[in-house]
Amino acid sequence: MCRIAGMVHAKLPVNAIQGIVHQMCDLQQHGGPDDEGLYTSEKDNLVLGNRRLALIDLSPEGHMPMSYRDRYHITYNGELYNFLTLKEELVNLGHQFSNHTDTEVILACFAQWNIQGFAKLKGMFAFALWDNLEKNLYLVRDAAGIKPLYYASSTGQLVFASEVRAFKPVDSLQEANENWPVYLMAYGHVPEPVSTLANVKPLHKGCFLKYELKNDSCSIGSYSHYSYSHQVTDAGNAQEQIKEALEQSVRSHLLADAPLGVFLSGGLDSGIIASLSAKYKKSALNTLSIYFEDPAFSEKKYQDILQERLQCDHHQYLLTEKEFHDSFPSILQSMDMPSCDGINTWFISKYAASQGLKAVLSGVGGDELFGGYPSFRRITAARAIQQMPKILMQAGKRSQSKRLNRMAYLQMDGIKGIYLFLRGHFSPFDIARHLGAYEKDIWTILNAQPILNDISHIDDKNQASWMEFNLYMQNQLLRDSDVMSMIHGVEIRVPFLYEDVIRLAFKIDPAVKYEGPLSKQVLINCFQDILPSEIWNRPKMGFSFPFAKWLASSDYVKELMQTSSEKTQKSYKKFLAGNLHWSHLMSLIILKNRKQ
Amino acid sequence: MPNNILFLTLKVFAATGGIEKVCRVAGKAFYESSISNNSLVQIYSMYDKHADADENRYFPSEIFHGFGMKKMKFIIEAIQQGKKSNTVILSHINLIMVGWLIKKISPSTRIMLFAHGIEVWESLSKRKKMMLGCCDKIIAVSQYTSQKLQDLHGIPAKKCSVLNNCLDPYLPFAPAVTGKCDLRNKYGYTQEDIILFTLTRLASKERYKGYDKVLQAMVALKHTQPNLKYLLAGSYDALEKSYLDELIKKLGLEDSVTIAGFIKEEDLVDHFSIANIYVMPSMKEGFGIVFIEAMYYGLPVIAGNKDGSVDALCNGELGILVDPQDIKAIEEAIGEMLLHGEQYKPDQKILMEHFSYKNYKIKLEKLIA
Repeated sequence: MCRIAGMVHAKLPVNAIQGIVHQMCDLQQHGGPDDEGLYTSEKDNLVLGNRRLALIDLSPEGHMPMSYRDRYHITYNGELYNFLTLKEELVNLGHQFSNHTDTEVILACFAQWNIQGFAKLKGMFAFALWDNLEKNLYLVRDAAGIKPLYYASSTGQLVFASEVRAFKPVDSLQEANENWPVYLMAYGHVPEPVSTLANVKPLHKGCFLKYELKNDSCSIGSYSHYSYSHQVTDAGNAQEQIKEALEQSVRSHLLADAPLGVFLSGGLDSGIIASLSAKYKKSALNTLSIYFEDPAFSEKKYQDILQERLQCDHHQYLLTEKEFHDSFPSILQSMDMPSCDGINTWFISKYAASQGLKAVLSGVGGDELFGGYPSFRRITAARAIQQMPKILMQAGKRSQSKRLNRMAYLQMDGIKGIYLFLRGHFSPFDIARHLGAYEKDIWTILNAQPILNDISHIDDKNQASWMEFNLYMQNQLLRDSDVMSMIHGVEIRVPFLYEDVIRLAFKIDPAVKYEGPLSKQVLINCFQDILPSEIWNRPKMGFSFPFAKWLASSDYVKELMQTSSEKTQKSYKKFLAGNLHWSHLMSLIILKNRKQ
Repeated sequence: MPNNILFLTLKVFAATGGIEKVCRVAGKAFYESSISNNSLVQIYSMYDKHADADENRYFPSEIFHGFGMKKMKFIIEAIQQGKKSNTVILSHINLIMVGWLIKKISPSTRIMLFAHGIEVWESLSKRKKMMLGCCDKIIAVSQYTSQKLQDLHGIPAKKCSVLNNCLDPYLPFAPAVTGKCDLRNKYGYTQEDIILFTLTRLASKERYKGYDKVLQAMVALKHTQPNLKYLLAGSYDALEKSYLDELIKKLGLEDSVTIAGFIKEEDLVDHFSIANIYVMPSMKEGFGIVFIEAMYYGLPVIAGNKDGSVDALCNGELGILVDPQDIKAIEEAIGEMLLHGEQYKPDQKILMEHFSYKNYKIKLEKLIA
């Protein structure tokens, strides 16, 4: 796990490019504290940079950028979980390896199968691979979009990095995307393919960008994607396969030469991951959890029950209000792209780092794949309302009720309207008022991006899954997980998002996958033998962090808000009166904070 | 402004012919363009069921709608979606009515048509010919097809563009030597045997692929090359099989010819790999994807000079073009390749320049831009 950056520039001298890439790496140093490296192809005005967080082969042999056969060079961020199997296959085909890293396996894989090799890689990754003979540079991102990769291309120039902030040293790319505040206020994050910079965008997941130096051309190819089907229709068979796939996934995610742990929220998904991890790595497994003094928010009871069953090395942290206040400005600084969430991940990653852990397993993905969100129940009604006359949806725009207010979003066709209705923050009317803009312009901006295909022909619950997987998880959860963990030099691993698990979940018939009285019943059925019943048969707590209370008592927030616009101050008062959700206030805090 | 595309097809996955191959690859190209350009693409298939697209590698099945032979539903939804699209691409002339209706309702929508081969080489009904007028552009898979469109149907040259078919980006690499030996054993070939290979549907109703001419040419060739074998593969109908059996017997080639029948997709590479020459002096090839596939696996190729095959062989730059009805010419071409095999190995660089998926996508993007 590392941070990467790089640049090809036809007109800049090589030492200038090196200087820029070096600075880009420095700006991402938090994500790669163990080592730094640059590869330069002088004749080609190309520099690849890397900040390394060493997890597999901690020796200097794992140094990056890494080369293979003096032809292929890579700067790589990620983990490959099937690299030992691939390595064996490649050895049989005559490849020789000089170290124990997964990085070298990717290089050999490309040397053997070229772009067809990308689909063989199972894991989370983003890398840039330079073929010095053909003079082609490939940027590649994993199929689930777990690892980030941003790029900007223009005539004679290609720049890339793991974080948007890393583009700061590139003068030509400093033009801001003026519309990002609109997206932040609507979504609570900035959705792909939008970014805060006008000419920087994320590489689409499961895709590779090929830059041909000889003719200065860029093209995007897709090497993998996930689609829903109804192939697995037998419940027993589905359960057997889920068990097998998740066990295999967790086992492969435990591969590391550095200490690792498991986040324990007290919920089902992390409980499953922790229980399966304990099965395979009992002696050296660390579990981590956060709890609060206020029992209304604390999940300590459930964490304790699980811990008693697992008997691992457990680390529990009491997160106090004081620590929250002390850390809040740093949390805002830690964000790369603006996001209204990720605070919890920031704290737990900080604790993981303080325990000397370098990688932590998390339960992200379980809700999206197996129906853990309310949207799975609400989507059918939302679709029905969407078919009604648009004037009805517009009627509630001035309403104080969040639900009525957001109904305006159902005027938008397709899944985007449904997503914003179910998960959106401010309505276009409110956004316009906060930003001093016309409402119709807000609509235009929101309609323009992201452009999403019509998925109305697939099963309703699979539509909810598609939406949570491709929008909420992609743009919010995975980005927060990545940025907020890497800021502490910790890697978050997500076994639910292993290729085999996703492919399986996507092909289970909805009638089997989402069946049952409890949320994620199919997962419960699979793992109730290894999980205490209190974990799966418990009341839903919703969001279990006391952030609303703490934000209300924050002097830092108060100060920020006092110097904000009149409308924002009104919203702050609304928040203090309990009439605005804390995550909505976060948008306003971020907007103000970034203006300063 | 985004260029939202609706790609209308007859079949994409439910059959394995050349047109379906084009649809799969073009679908992938449209999907990738939609990512690059931040636009939408929808692929409708009249005959496929939705599940036919399950786990395909070309594009996510969410952008695919299989109507499972519900023609009216297909037409109605295609028109509704077509009105909202900037560009509608018809994969086959049999969809021209849908394109024509979309154009009538939404004149600003661009209509493009893929023209492959024999389906547009014949005279068309008056109605179809009139409807062809709705097309803003016709994309012909070969120069030959393009010329036919102009000569037969009076399509102005400026409306016709040629986009040769390409190699499937998922074509597997040539197998290791072990696989080759197994297959040689299966067919009873020795290491010394020289294998001519043809892969095509063997249909009594469309006997234009030229394999019967190859059989006749074999008779003379056997005198100088007794190890010459002919591997004729592809699904066949009973009538054609008995015709071929009879012909082989009549020519005395029973020991030299294998009719292999249908070959599974995953076994094709091994078949290309054991062959020495690919020969198919066809008379009615729209393009002949099989030629470029054979050349991708390094086989010297002989094709007919009267149809779209000319494009597939780059006017003879990549192989030998013969008069498909001239048995002597076929015999001489094979003889020449037997003598100077290495010389006729196709130049991979030229092959990829003309027929790589990457270049196909670039050309297609330009055409629909």
